Amino acid sequence: MQKRNVVFVLNEYNGHGGAQRVASILAEDFVRDGHNVAVLSINEQKDAPSYFSKDIPVQIVQKNGYRATAPKELSSNLKAFRLNTVAKELKRRRELAKRKQEVEKFFDKYGDQEVFVIVIQVWGMQWVQPLLYRPNVKIIGQSHESYIASKASSRYKRILRYYRQVSKFLLLTQKDADHFEGQGFSNVGVIYNPTPFRKQVDPKVLYSSKTIVSTGRLIEAKGFDILIEAFSRIAQDLPGWKLEIYGEGPAEKSLQTLIDILDLNDRVFLMGQTKDVQAALSASSLFVLSSKAEGLPMSLIEAQSCGLPCISTDCAPGIREIVGDYKNGYVTPVDDIQLLSRQMKRLLTNPELFYEFSQRSYESSARFDKEYIKSQWYDLFEEIGGNEK
Amino acid sequence: MTNSMNINQKPPKLSVVVIAYNNELYIEEALESLHEQTFEDMEVCVVNDFSTDATGELIDKFVADKPKFKAVHLKENSGGCSTPRNTGIAHTTGEYVMFLDGDDWYTIDACEKMVAAIERTGSDFVGGQVIRTNNYEIWYQRQIYNMERTNINIREFSMMLFDSLSVNKIYKRSFLDQNQLRFPEGIHYEDIVFTGKAYFLADSFSIIPEPVYYWRVVENADVKSITNRRFEFDNFKNRIVAHRLFDAFLREHGDILYQANKNNKFLRHDLKLYTNDYLEFDEDYKNKFHELIYEYMHEVMDAYAFIRLPEKERIMYYLLYIGDKQGFQDFLSYKEHLPTSIPRVYSKGGSYYFKTTAEGRNHEKFLKMENLEFSVSIDSLELTQDALTFDWNATMESITNSEAYYSWMLKNRQTGAVIYSRQTSGGKALLPLNHVVPGNYYLFLNVSHQGNLHRYLVKKPVIAHLPNLRVKDSTYSRQLFINNKNSFAVKVAPLKKKDQAAWMLNKRKAASKEPGILEKVFSPYAKNFFKKLSVKPNWVLFESHMGKQYSDSPKYIYEEMRKSHPQYKFIWSFENPDAVEVPGNVVKVKRRSLKHYYYLVRSKFWVDNQGIAHLTRKKKDQVYVQTWHGTPLKRMGYDQKKLPSDEELAKLRVQTNAWDYFVSPNPYSTEIFKRAFRYGGEIIESGYPRNDIVIQKPQDVIQKVKNHFRLSPEKKVVLFAPTFRDWDPNSFQKTLRDIQTLSQSVSEDTVVLLRLHYLLSERIGSKDLPSNIKNASTYQDIQELYLIADSLVTDYSSVMFDYALLERPIILYTYDLEEYLSRRGTYFDLVEKAPGPVCRSIEEVIAFINDPQKLQAFDPALHSFAEEFGSIEDGHAAQKVIERVFK
Repeated sequence: MQKRNVVFVLNEYNGHGGAQRVASILAEDFVRDGHNVAVLSINEQKDAPSYFSKDIPVQIVQKNGYRATAPKELSSNLKAFRLNTVAKELKRRRELAKRKQEVEKFFDKYGDQEVFVIVIQVWGMQWVQPLLYRPNVKIIGQSHESYIASKASSRYKRILRYYRQVSKFLLLTQKDADHFEGQGFSNVGVIYNPTPFRKQVDPKVLYSSKTIVSTGRLIEAKGFDILIEAFSRIAQDLPGWKLEIYGEGPAEKSLQTLIDILDLNDRVFLMGQTKDVQAALSASSLFVLSSKAEGLPMSLIEAQSCGLPCISTDCAPGIREIVGDYKNGYVTPVDDIQLLSRQMKRLLTNPELFYEFSQRSYESSARFDKEYIKSQWYDLFEEIGGNEK
Repeated sequence: MTNSMNINQKPPKLSVVVIAYNNELYIEEALESLHEQTFEDMEVCVVNDFSTDATGELIDKFVADKPKFKAVHLKENSGGCSTPRNTGIAHTTGEYVMFLDGDDWYTIDACEKMVAAIERTGSDFVGGQVIRTNNYEIWYQRQIYNMERTNINIREFSMMLFDSLSVNKIYKRSFLDQNQLRFPEGIHYEDIVFTGKAYFLADSFSIIPEPVYYWRVVENADVKSITNRRFEFDNFKNRIVAHRLFDAFLREHGDILYQANKNNKFLRHDLKLYTNDYLEFDEDYKNKFHELIYEYMHEVMDAYAFIRLPEKERIMYYLLYIGDKQGFQDFLSYKEHLPTSIPRVYSKGGSYYFKTTAEGRNHEKFLKMENLEFSVSIDSLELTQDALTFDWNATMESITNSEAYYSWMLKNRQTGAVIYSRQTSGGKALLPLNHVVPGNYYLFLNVSHQGNLHRYLVKKPVIAHLPNLRVKDSTYSRQLFINNKNSFAVKVAPLKKKDQAAWMLNKRKAASKEPGILEKVFSPYAKNFFKKLSVKPNWVLFESHMGKQYSDSPKYIYEEMRKSHPQYKFIWSFENPDAVEVPGNVVKVKRRSLKHYYYLVRSKFWVDNQGIAHLTRKKKDQVYVQTWHGTPLKRMGYDQKKLPSDEELAKLRVQTNAWDYFVSPNPYSTEIFKRAFRYGGEIIESGYPRNDIVIQKPQDVIQKVKNHFRLSPEKKVVLFAPTFRDWDPNSFQKTLRDIQTLSQSVSEDTVVLLRLHYLLSERIGSKDLPSNIKNASTYQDIQELYLIADSLVTDYSSVMFDYALLERPIILYTYDLEEYLSRRGTYFDLVEKAPGPVCRSIEEVIAFINDPQKLQAFDPALHSFAEEFGSIEDGHAAQKVIERVFK
């Protein structure tokens, strides 16, 4: 196989986050296949662990710890004598210009060799933009959230501004890709996130665990309160079943309070962060995602990779691409506690249905298999590579 | 068949009728959503329409231990929703009734909210929000379900007709019973009839903006539900059957007045579903479709049902209505950029229409188009320091191909600078980039079609393959660029820091169109100050045609004065001073600028040919010389057939009161000017200063004009100067066609100089003109053109009076003489006094141009015309005016 140069551009290379995780899975795989991989990280988190192994060189753009703020207009702020804002904006512009040059220098060392730059998060694109016109640099831009979620921030506008000329703009779901195609993008594509592991657990073993599981940062947007409430409605009908939630976050206290109020201390457990997601999933039965907004949730993909049926809120266009409603799981409207509880009960009181959904879930997770996803990336390099321009 | 019921029991408040047919996947969910309702006092009747799957068993199992639930199993499948729902109504007793379909579900408090709403309002029925599960959007949320509406009537809120669902509503049983309102059995689309009738039968109904009903929309479902099988013709037929029942009801119920509202919903909702899919139907379906929709439309509506619809629907439905099947298919093809059977798009008077071959007269008002379709593709983009080149393909859809001319243009949005393509033939375009300034040059396709210019901004999807190209020279980088709105541009950016800063500043300046804040504040004070300054006795301010030209009598007075009165200071005002060249020592000012005002209030003399008196109040010691701009033919001022409004007359008085001298070309005009302008001041009957040149015929001017148009001496020149017909938007197209005909028919040694009104000249690019037609519309001074013209073709213009002085042939081309006379009115009979032949068609005109012999017959007429109107022109009019005014 041809040896490729691949550079991942991340906001921060270290810390916990779906984007870092996905990038590291791909990066390690590329390294294993003998490719030349590097990471360009805009910022870094202080004293945080990294998913990337020591073999992968990391270059940090803002070594001085500066974090770019949102762009502001100069003249109006100047007129209003908001000098502090003006000073900040001038600094932002100066920093951006300087760092852009450093980024250019970083790529100078590749000479005329072909480099594939994978911009994992939209924010990083502003530093990489000057590379667009280098014939040896092929930029692949990604957005790791649904277009609806990105509209809530400046990211959607950034996509419209920066991603129109990249060699490929990758979305996580076909629905997102269709949306941007409708916005006049002619460079969109879809590659799913790879699952870091994939090993089926016998559906009967899963069922016998009698555990509903969910993972994610404990924040309001993940809707764990909905899940706990939904469970409380059916706890009586599901004797012996428990709910385990893995993750840490600011909402921990309020969730614990909710568990106390509902008197479910012996049924619902906040498990904290786990190092071994696969083990936690393999020891559970049913995965429930109760989020309000997502991209293509890794957690659902990981759960299916262990053979867990999933019930998910319809919190992103991609959910229905993972979970087949009434086929291998259920999809319920966001915040509909009643329907969520009814579907959980339906599945858990019907072992035959559970086994069927479990088997189908595992089968459907083949689409997220690491090797398969990797081959799609190699096809993409093949497609956009070459100096025909 | 039914579970036993205690007859002594008081009827429940609410009955919910659930219908199910082969819903084994979802029926439990539907029933559970009812079982969990926060409302207690209710009964549920589940009607199984002879399902062939496990639905029946699931229902029985579910209702077995629930006293509020009962099941009814029909003995045979009814084929629709009506029979099961009616059965459910018959098997229940509750005061209120709601419906639920077996694959949908209620929100947890749907029943509670609906019962509360109907009890609170006392309405006959109440509607709640429906959520579709494919996108979680609420059915007609914005137009209907955005707010609570209490006790409304369909006749005041016809928008409600768009919600023809029956399941999202709670009904008073007494309302259903008293009106014998039931679902019509044996048809599909029962909701159209049931809900439609309910709206018109109800005294009042209400709406609550709360979600109550989840409508499960399964995308890519293997089996489409009844309402989705649009590809079978029976589906369309059934919908029409339902609508006919509703229509019949409206007639019988005395609500025919509201048929139009109902039609509107039918067109915008129901019919649209089928026209959207039309291209996928087979031939047999299409034939039946046209037949039925034609029949149905003519039953209940006329063509004006479409007049207010959006363009696409209006045209589609109108073509269906007049039974133009081919036209309809062509229109759909047109919208998809597919070939049409004949060219369908045509222009008339600057507007576009879709052509129908059907008989009849009033088609155009229904077939007018604003949105034209263009197919454009670009490939093989190349960028160098010198040029942007690419291969292209462009078609304006469904026109006669030879009528459109395509050219490319790059436009710098920041500076307005424009670059035109050098070669457009052969599908290759080259846009030179040698002289660029910083900014984004957006790429446009210009399509010139029948005198209409269409500008098409190139967006990225048009470009098959977009390479990220960048080239640099010492000062600028040029790169291909797509902006956030997907428009394509060549971005030119300065490379040096200093240039970049200067560019940013300029960009900012250019962005603010308003005058600077200093100027705004300063201007009124300055004007006040200027007004108080003394009048300069040797300053003369000139203006011609509101600053648009350096021409006409003011020009000739100025040129004469330059020589005879060099001690004076001369000022000319122009709209665009930099664009006009004026000989001699002269101050050029921008019209209506502060500087212009300064000279306006300080110059003792004003020389003008239209009117500048409204710009400031003329002071006592200022002198206004009004030269006017032509011997009158059409009636003016107070002489007009229809007297102008008081306001216009007041404006005219402002001008005439300010005039101190009025220059007249002949006694005929003198009489008219006095009367038409009610002008009592001094008239200088000197002949026109502008005609001095026509009498003198200076050789150097003749040579200058010939050089300007690159005319070789042996060419015969015809000056074609039609007037502007502001009442007829078609006249421009007519003129263009005439030009084409002229170009093809005049002899080889003839060149036509085209002189159009300035409003029209902007619409015509020299590119569109054949080589033997020269556009002289923007040439500053028409008098100079006379000198090189061997003959003149005009219609009602005062040009003929001036040109007649040369006693060269004049052909009058007055194809619309009657209309002109009736609209404008003339001071004398043009046909009788005409200086040459009066032609009614361009062919006649051409015959005269090509046969000068024939024209000689009109020499006596021309001579007497020149005598009558040019008797006092001796080539020294300017001198006479100057002597009188400047003493």
